[in-house]
Amino acid sequence: MSRSTISAPDLRWLLAAVFGLLLAGCGPAKVIVEGNFPPPLMAPLPMKLGIWYPEDFSGHEFFDQAKSRSDSDWLVQTGAAQVQMWDTLLAGMFVETVHMKGEPGPGQMNQLVDAVLIPEVDELQYAIPAHTNVKVYEIWMRYRFRLVTTGGDPITDWTMTAYGKTPTAFLQSDAAAVNLAAVMALRDAGANFATNFARVPEVKTFLDELHVEPLETGL
Amino acid sequence: MVFNEPVEGIGDSTVVILGRRHAADYETEPDFIRCVGKHISSRDPSITVVGELDFVNSLYPWFEPRTAPLHPQDINRLLEQEPVAERMAELKTEYMIWIDGRTERGDSAGSMTCGIGPGGAGCFGFGTWSDDSNYEAVIWDFTDQAEVGRVNTTASGQSYMPAVVVPIPIIAPVQGTACDGIGDQLLEFLSSEY
Repeated sequence: MSRSTISAPDLRWLLAAVFGLLLAGCGPAKVIVEGNFPPPLMAPLPMKLGIWYPEDFSGHEFFDQAKSRSDSDWLVQTGAAQVQMWDTLLAGMFVETVHMKGEPGPGQMNQLVDAVLIPEVDELQYAIPAHTNVKVYEIWMRYRFRLVTTGGDPITDWTMTAYGKTPTAFLQSDAAAVNLAAVMALRDAGANFATNFARVPEVKTFLDELHVEPLETGL
Repeated sequence: MVFNEPVEGIGDSTVVILGRRHAADYETEPDFIRCVGKHISSRDPSITVVGELDFVNSLYPWFEPRTAPLHPQDINRLLEQEPVAERMAELKTEYMIWIDGRTERGDSAGSMTCGIGPGGAGCFGFGTWSDDSNYEAVIWDFTDQAEVGRVNTTASGQSYMPAVVVPIPIIAPVQGTACDGIGDQLLEFLSSEY
């Protein structure tokens, strides 16, 4: 009969792992948003767009503190999914996109582009069944976009909203429902941006100056 | 307008069934849309039903809740865009069917208590609830860019859950009945064999 023994260092690792698991059990429910974002089906605008994601954007997350002992805290990380969605969308909307080496600003050595887009999540609100007693998960987001030159001079800025919801009926868990609501909100953000970018008055003026003519979709 | 029953199949063309998602207080369930698609293609295998998610993804962002066409005439504006027109030609979509509605849980009654102890666990009690389905399908002929039909279905049923130690749910297949009902009506529009 064989007997397994645990050495002192192994025991320390085991205790550390158990302690870690206990701590994790006390921590918030964590959702790292994951989804597939299709490229936009549209004629790309003939301009070279630079992209700069601020750290708050690429690492975006939101935290919901439990309101009662029966609730749990929620930590929802959307940053990676934001970058994935916007990279896919912008690459399909413009003939060329370039990620900037640094934040556009005076004296900053950056690649030459027509303009640099800087997205930010200005505000995020959400509702889960525990808040509303309705079996729907919802996420609202308000984005702020800045369009600047490579030197950081502002061309224009504007805000845009996005909304995503999902019923619980066909989902297995709260985490999956929160994830899907976030993915739907991101898809909506992409749809809103793709269909309205060229309609922002200052953007339209800027595109006119570049002699870029977007197709009027009428939607 | 008089409805002429189809005398031949739709050939190489395809049908897409989409759920309306722009209402504020409900969404047409994706699993109901899948159910109707399966019902049609299983009863008439000559009809190719394009999956809702595949269709919406391949035409992103033009069929999202915010951008989806609300009237058949809107298709014209979509087709003015060359990439969209090319993709639609690839998909060979002849009919686009929009389904709007939902299955809603109605009145519930009864009570159940569950407990756990050293000797085991169990529940005792009785619960009952009703489900109501109400769906409407609108059929757009993609080639003519016109609405060619509109059908609806309703279904309701009472479900029960008696529990003596173990709860035994007896679920009324309300949504399934609505799926069969609307699927059969759509087959009359689409299939020459049904």
